[in-house]
Amino acid sequence: MMSRPEYPPELRRKNVKLALWVLVIVILMFITAVPFWVGLFELATGVR
Amino acid sequence: MTTATHAHADHEHHGPPSGLKRWLFSTNHKDIGTMYLVFALIMLFLGGASAMVIRAELFMPGLQLVQPDLYNNLVTNHALIMIFGAVMPAAAGLANWMIPLMIGAPDMALPRMNNLSFWILPAAALMLILSFVVPFFPGGGTQINTGWTLYPPLSLQVGMSMDFLIFAIHLLGVSSVLASINIIVTIFNMRAPGLRMMQLPIFVWAWLVTAFLLILVVPVLAAGVTMLLFDRHFGTSFFIAAGGGDPVLFQHLFWFFGHPEVYILILPSLGVLASILPTFSRKPLFGHHSLVGAMIAIAALGMIVWAHHQYTVGMSLAAVKYFMIMTILISIPVGLIIFNYMMTMWRGAMTFETPMLFTVAIILMFSFGGLTGVMLAVVPADMQYHDSMFVVAHFHYVLLPGAVWGLFAGVFYWLPKWTGHMYDEKLAKTFFWLHVVSFNITFFPQHFIGLAGMPRRIVDYNVMFTEFNMISSVGAFFFGISHLLFLYIIIKTVRGGEKAKARAWESAQGLEWEVESPPPHHTWTTPPTIKTA
Ligand code: HEM
Ligand SMILES: [Cu+2]
Repeated sequence: MMSRPEYPPELRRKNVKLALWVLVIVILMFITAVPFWVGLFELATGVR
Repeated sequence: MTTATHAHADHEHHGPPSGLKRWLFSTNHKDIGTMYLVFALIMLFLGGASAMVIRAELFMPGLQLVQPDLYNNLVTNHALIMIFGAVMPAAAGLANWMIPLMIGAPDMALPRMNNLSFWILPAAALMLILSFVVPFFPGGGTQINTGWTLYPPLSLQVGMSMDFLIFAIHLLGVSSVLASINIIVTIFNMRAPGLRMMQLPIFVWAWLVTAFLLILVVPVLAAGVTMLLFDRHFGTSFFIAAGGGDPVLFQHLFWFFGHPEVYILILPSLGVLASILPTFSRKPLFGHHSLVGAMIAIAALGMIVWAHHQYTVGMSLAAVKYFMIMTILISIPVGLIIFNYMMTMWRGAMTFETPMLFTVAIILMFSFGGLTGVMLAVVPADMQYHDSMFVVAHFHYVLLPGAVWGLFAGVFYWLPKWTGHMYDEKLAKTFFWLHVVSFNITFFPQHFIGLAGMPRRIVDYNVMFTEFNMISSVGAFFFGISHLLFLYIIIKTVRGGEKAKARAWESAQGLEWEVESPPPHHTWTTPPTIKTA
């Protein structure tokens, strides 16, 4: 019994590719959380 | 406006597999949506139970039911369960059910990952619950007394239950990120041919903006709690002053996530209203593009105002001025949405079925919460209000009307679509009035005791606050009870009732109303034809 529609291979590739690109943003946000978002802000404003 | 011509799916005889397997291995967006919603409802009751204990304790000054540490543990658990267990999964449930139906897609883009996003949640919830109960066992360490903000140095001193909590947050984060990726990919890649981005319903847009917010801020929370974990166990000093670190750094990381999080909680609900208003006003939405623009503006501004939660930590004058001005600026796009919705009702042929009742109440009371928000945004004023019950009143006025009621409204609006039955309108209206009136009895007095100086997150209080706390607690008990009625209405509707038509509401627009109620297990296996009128 089919519980999942089978997408055409081009669509599947396109979906996985976009998903991986978004995942890149996630990873970048994770590893840059401190040095970038906070560090840059601290430098700019002197806030701590 | 988009219209669709019927293109009936040829594979409708493929029903769902039966038994437990249907749910455990489900890759079907409707079944997963249902599981998200049921999970959220269970968490709503759990989080509600802790709120009832909190209000029972605060009924009178002095200690009656719980010790201070347990009180703070309850406050922490209440917030985390409501935010991560109830509101976010409920919104994800609506997204799963409605986005594929609304954009004419057969399912989510990555159906197996969708299964994973959901099934991480029960594990995360277990960890969250364990973080609450572990201290009751011998050797279980101290209770979590930090509140949902988990500030060090306190969070560095809590026992092992904090580690359970950090793990729970990691799992919740993975679940949200995977769900967001799925939603983004679905909206970009899976639209019916000819359906352009700017034609998408506002609910879909709201979720797209929300998913991007999640992608950008959840990893930062994950990084923050990971650093907490390292400080606790692996000898680092990110947040330990004695080692050259700074506890305020955690506050920046937390609120870099925390403020956008409040928009993550309200945007999907505001999107629901954009579906409901035209239906019961019998008029198209006043502005479509402007709503999209406003939501993007809210998200963008929402990411650069986080330190308005930290005015009192001693930032430079330039910094607090910046955060104050940017925070107040957000009221412009928020106001735009509110006026847009009011103009949609203006001179419409309105009727007030339960979803519409909630919508009107949301517009009134969410705006009120926004107003107290602007008060809190003003630095010198917030020096007084900060950490008082006034803040508690503020965020309950934005979160219940803004997030929770929008979800209730959406559930009533789409319940006929999901179940194939109309809900009992009379009971639902009773629920609405009981809920909304008791909500106001609970939280309105908290503004005054807050302004008069009662701090938040403290188990005991000065006798001068007794009367208003009693009113608040009595309101809270009725408020709690009202949810049993909600549960009853849902069960009753699932089990039977007047049959719902495909277009359950006579003037409802959108692709979701082109399929039967309840929809077959697979919909839009042949995409609908989009005509631009
Ligand atoms: C015009 C819009 C808003 C403004 C100007 C605003 C401003 C503020 C400020 C300045 C605080 C910090 C108060 C303090 O701790 O001293 C605050 C707290 C809070 N706000 Fe808002 N707010 C707005 C809308 C919202 C919305 C829409 C939500 C949620 C849906 C929300 C949820 C919260 C929460 C949860 C807190 C308390 C966080 C905590 O300390 O635990 N606010 N708000
Ligand atoms: Cu904020």
